[in-house]
Amino acid sequence: MNSLKNSFMRFKRSPAFTGFVLFMIAIIMNLIIRGPGNFFGASSLGTLFAKNAPIILVTLAQAVLLITGTLDISIGIQLALVNVVVIMLPQELGMSVPVAWIFGILAALAISAVGGFLVAVLRVPSILATFALTYVIKGINVLIMNVPQGSVPKEYYGAYDTVLFGFLPVAALIIVGVLLMWMFVKRTKFGKHIYAVGANPRNAFAAGINPTKTIMKAFLFKGLITGIAGISLTLMLAAGNPLQVEGYGLRSLAACIIGGLGFGGWGSMSCAVFGAGFLVLIQNAVYYFFNFLQDILTGFQITSYWQNFISDAIVLLGLLMTTVTAKAQKETLKQGLSRQLKRGEKFAKQ
Amino acid sequence: MVKVRKFMRQSPAAMTFIIAILLLIVTFVVRPNSFNKNTFGSIILLTMLLSFASAGQTLVLIGGGLDFTVGAVMSSAAVITTFLMQGQDGNLLLVLLIVLALGAIVGVINGAACIKIGLPPMIVTIAISNLIAQAQYLFAADGKSLGYAGPALIKSVSYKIGGFLPAIVLYAIVIWGIMFYLLNRSVYGKQLYLVGDNKDAAKLSGIKVNKIILLSYIFSGILSAFAGMLGAAYMTVVSAQVFDNYAFQSLIAVIVGGTALSGGVGTYSGSIAGALMMTVLSNGLTALALADPIKNISYGIIMILLLFAYNRSSAVRQ
Repeated sequence: MNSLKNSFMRFKRSPAFTGFVLFMIAIIMNLIIRGPGNFFGASSLGTLFAKNAPIILVTLAQAVLLITGTLDISIGIQLALVNVVVIMLPQELGMSVPVAWIFGILAALAISAVGGFLVAVLRVPSILATFALTYVIKGINVLIMNVPQGSVPKEYYGAYDTVLFGFLPVAALIIVGVLLMWMFVKRTKFGKHIYAVGANPRNAFAAGINPTKTIMKAFLFKGLITGIAGISLTLMLAAGNPLQVEGYGLRSLAACIIGGLGFGGWGSMSCAVFGAGFLVLIQNAVYYFFNFLQDILTGFQITSYWQNFISDAIVLLGLLMTTVTAKAQKETLKQGLSRQLKRGEKFAKQ
Repeated sequence: MVKVRKFMRQSPAAMTFIIAILLLIVTFVVRPNSFNKNTFGSIILLTMLLSFASAGQTLVLIGGGLDFTVGAVMSSAAVITTFLMQGQDGNLLLVLLIVLALGAIVGVINGAACIKIGLPPMIVTIAISNLIAQAQYLFAADGKSLGYAGPALIKSVSYKIGGFLPAIVLYAIVIWGIMFYLLNRSVYGKQLYLVGDNKDAAKLSGIKVNKIILLSYIFSGILSAFAGMLGAAYMTVVSAQVFDNYAFQSLIAVIVGGTALSGGVGTYSGSIAGALMMTVLSNGLTALALADPIKNISYGIIMILLLFAYNRSSAVRQ
């Protein structure tokens, strides 16, 4: 019983706790509004994952950068870049779809390399550099595809939408795949460098880590995940659109911070997962809640503008609430560290 | 080259002004038929408008923060102005009060979120601007506003004195005067510079840091709202999110005017010069009649070059 309590205390102090609480609140809201049967049914879970895999993946990518203390607000429009590349290459050049996917990922890597160059090498503040990059990417997208068009062969988007074994959506597998990638990277030297550079670049440099190279590599890793997310988006939409999902940049940022990732060198991917889950589930809950109200109260019309407004307001509230707890956690971490250092000195003096 | 760098460091405002004039000359050389009264009139008007929007941003940046809500507040103020005025001048004063109150409220939310909750200002102001952008659609059906600004207000902005000078410069005398007083002559201004330079040192020397920062956000909200109202008069018909890109534009204008992202330095004259440069740049790109995507790409690349020249974090290796 005591060890259970200890592990709960440890979990409470972990970075993912705040995100976890909010995520649970969002799940409970969904269960209340839709009923467990409806919510956990295969088709409803399948649609949930299929529709939202892009934003979840993009949040995971953004998390990598946030841990290093940088960010990329152009990550949304980069999805559109991958989307137009993946659609136009088979359409205009007759390339096969899987090869086009590779080029899509390469496009994401290339633009991330540019972003990484601006932030890591030229040392332009990441918020400004990536904001400016948004304009460039928008222009490139429209040059590649000037009007929304295109299609995806049915076998591909059909495969994306299926639910294996009755309960495992393919989209969820993609997310799990990226998470496994992260778990592998976290255990490498590069993974440790990401945390070190994010916490204090100067100290990391003094310890022999090269912040420029680490941030550059982090941007490339983010580019890889963005490429996968772009392919997910293409499969979900089965069409192309050069100027879509620009807002994913801001939303992935908000999701990460809701999950507790607001500080550099702190947090884990589970923060991002919970944050993205909260965002997605809140939108889901608001949507179904208003549908429910419309069914019950005859003549109750609510425009999608109100739905957007309310779910954005809840997101803002989530943001405001979490950082209170996240600050407390960071304080605990700092105190713990200082206590450890002091104890070490005591031993040294002896 | 070294001399140019030294000049740039010493007086970024003057440097920006020179670059702006050079860009203007280049535009006239490439497109000689843009050298007329209308072009000058519209450049002056847009520069004034951007300088008003950048006024609040200057204050916030000097204090060490960031305000992304400038664009959203401007757009909301414009939508509300046209919505409430409905083409009549009658309730001008009331509309002014409502709009300024809206700006102040947003400023309070921004400031409170940054100070009390300790969120990084960039994140919270972006989220709030997103929310305000959504809220505009509640006022404007399908994004188009439901009315026009009153004729007297429109005239006070767009009437061309002597045939080419837009009357908006009269507003500039007031606003620029307020800004120069705030930054250079008032105690608040001095304290703002200190807070932006080193928050902890300022707190230790007895400055009420939280109050200073909160006030900077409130000023920013009020100034942006006022700019939005004037913008509504300029555009006559506004749609939702019409001025949203002023957030980024004001930020760049302030930064190339010599105010650092980290705070503690900067002048309003720099922001005015920055506003001129941004307007000339926009005008130049339009005058070149480039296709939209090429315009976007050039705009982004030039932004990046300017950011590189004007604002870089210090190197880790020292």
